[in-house]
Amino acid sequence: MTLVKEAPVRPAKKRSAAPVAGRRGRRRENLAGYLFMSPWIAGFLVLTAGPMIASLYYAFTRYNLFTPPEWVGFDNFTTMFHDPRWQKSVEVTLKYVVVATPLKLLLALGVALLLAQQRRGQGLYRAAFYMPSLIGASVSVGFVWRALFSDDAIVDRTQKIFGVDVGGWIGDPDYVLYSLVALSIWQFGAPMVIFLAGLKQVPRELYEAAEVDGAGPFRRFWNITLPMISPVLFFNVLLESIHAFQVFGSAYVVSDTRCGPADATLVYTCYLYQKGFKEAQMGFASAMAWSLVVAVALVTAVLFWSQKKWVHYEEAAK
Amino acid sequence: MGTSRNVERRTILKTAGATAATLGLAATTGCGGDSGSSGDGTVTLRYAWWGGEPRTIAIKKTIALFEKKYPKIKIKPEFTDYEAFWEKFQTQASGGNPPDVFQNAVGFLRKYDKRGVLLDLKTQADAGNLSLDNFRNGILANGQVDGKQIGIPVGANTMALVIDLKAFKKAGVEAKFGWTWDEYFAALQTIQDKLKIAGDTGYFAIMYLYDLYLRQNGKAFFTDSDLGFTEDDVTQWWTDGYKRVKSGLVADPKKIEQVKPKSGLSAGLAASEFTWDNFSIRYEGEGTSDYGLAPIPTVDGKQTGQYLGSLMLSGFSGTKHPKEVAQFISFMVHDPEVGKIMGYDRGILATTEQYDAFKPADAQNKGVAAYEDEVAKAGVLGKITPHPSGADVIEAAFLRIGGEVAQGKTKPADAAKALFSEAKAAFAG
Repeated sequence: MTLVKEAPVRPAKKRSAAPVAGRRGRRRENLAGYLFMSPWIAGFLVLTAGPMIASLYYAFTRYNLFTPPEWVGFDNFTTMFHDPRWQKSVEVTLKYVVVATPLKLLLALGVALLLAQQRRGQGLYRAAFYMPSLIGASVSVGFVWRALFSDDAIVDRTQKIFGVDVGGWIGDPDYVLYSLVALSIWQFGAPMVIFLAGLKQVPRELYEAAEVDGAGPFRRFWNITLPMISPVLFFNVLLESIHAFQVFGSAYVVSDTRCGPADATLVYTCYLYQKGFKEAQMGFASAMAWSLVVAVALVTAVLFWSQKKWVHYEEAAK
Repeated sequence: MGTSRNVERRTILKTAGATAATLGLAATTGCGGDSGSSGDGTVTLRYAWWGGEPRTIAIKKTIALFEKKYPKIKIKPEFTDYEAFWEKFQTQASGGNPPDVFQNAVGFLRKYDKRGVLLDLKTQADAGNLSLDNFRNGILANGQVDGKQIGIPVGANTMALVIDLKAFKKAGVEAKFGWTWDEYFAALQTIQDKLKIAGDTGYFAIMYLYDLYLRQNGKAFFTDSDLGFTEDDVTQWWTDGYKRVKSGLVADPKKIEQVKPKSGLSAGLAASEFTWDNFSIRYEGEGTSDYGLAPIPTVDGKQTGQYLGSLMLSGFSGTKHPKEVAQFISFMVHDPEVGKIMGYDRGILATTEQYDAFKPADAQNKGVAAYEDEVAKAGVLGKITPHPSGADVIEAAFLRIGGEVAQGKTKPADAAKALFSEAKAAFAG
């Protein structure tokens, strides 16, 4: 009780003891700090905060870029919910998130488990597996992907060996989205590195003790590894889900800028882009953008709420 | 203490200086793209177009020619592909900073006229800065909207059926002037029976072809401000099209999709494709067969519904140098040397000076000239009407929805409903 009362008093005493000149000096230091930061602050205000506020306003207007925005209240949102293409874009995006995120994380965790063991040439393996994450977002990889999954290309030919004849994934509305999923999974390097860091933190004594008790590899993974890395797993799930909701580049390039065929790769951001920059419906596009922000915030909130049930923060283990 | 205070002051001053410099630099770069005039009276114009590499090389040669003749006018080129061009243009135009001179097409005239972006070149012609004489086949009218001259045609082209000559010959099929749609589809059947390949790449998603079909039936795709056909009309068109995909007369849309941006014809997936006549030149370079032009099928054996379309040059209404813009356009559409350099890349040359100056040497260019000559002589050419504002969005929707029908993902009747609903939004935009 006494300690709690004393705690805030101490720094206050120190502050009052400081000389006036020192206080001035600190103020100057702060000023210098703010001045150094000012290019960033200006950039943030002009390039991020400003456009965000503007787009929030535009979300409630009809705005074609040329004539002044006209206030329409919630019209854009009601139109949006009734628009079959918007519904399709939500459906496509959810499908992508639900399929791509767990598969990517499973692969990342699997490879991280293999790479966590001490073996020769480990650095090389880690670099090799991480490499796709560095180049994965580039447009050129999108083109390569288009070539790989086309009719009579390598994927199609390999499938035919096993008696499966799809005729290329890119032109088929039923398959094309999975070529994007494959592209996402291929870039598992970033979550893998985070998993690796997490795995390194698990105390060896726990495994030794478990082994003594006769626990097999699966038991050790399920009862020790998974609970111990659950904070890292939570972080990866959160980050990758948010990324997956924002997928754009790969969908745009693989489908030759049309987000198709038959709107099969019409992910949310692709439709948003079409509405804004091809059809010049900036109000509608802004409404879509803010709905995405809200949706991602909700998903994040649900994940944070759920972590109480499955994420273990073991202070003692550290 | 004194020293430290000095250091601090210096730090603060430096920081302030750096910040000001950064902001100043940003402000300068923001203005960097502007055209204008320099102290010695030299004027710089920005000129933008879309197209492939051969077009860009040719246009750059014509710019050099112009700058030699008009040393006080400098041209700054900007070019991209078609899709990127109009996305960029829309943003530039809305920010009041579009290029001074740019390539334009009939689908965009009303749209940008409505938004006040296009310069009325008639006033410049009246002032003697631009000649409106010697345009062939009345094609100058293509750039006129509501009494204003907002585009100057650089070439003329018309829809055609581009055919794989070897395939047609092998199947023993002849494409003749005045043939009917039934005869055309019978020819496709022969090709399929004899060569085991599809006859057509997917005619029913091409807006410009459907326009011709409607014109043959006394309608048109667009009126001045609306669609010129009914939901039932297009439902029928797409129902027939889908039947022909299922029967293999029309190529598998999945395969067509995968060879993009190459055409299904030059990729050997089908024996014919409806497109603009000057595309046959492109296909010759793209594919391995020989390609020729065949007439548009008709309903009554006579009317093809065709008209001369064209690419044009337009000026920005807010340009600081309207006189120079007009001089530049005039040079580009009339100078015989420019005609020789450009050839039929943007269609048959629009003015007599350029048409007479260019003598096509290769079979493809000769073929295009002969085809248009034949069409003109047949007296079937109708008048083009500038598309209403929103036409570009509707063309993209027609292509996309037609593709959904072909893939069997949307029923023709639902597709027609979707097209009409999207068209309504596009006209309102």
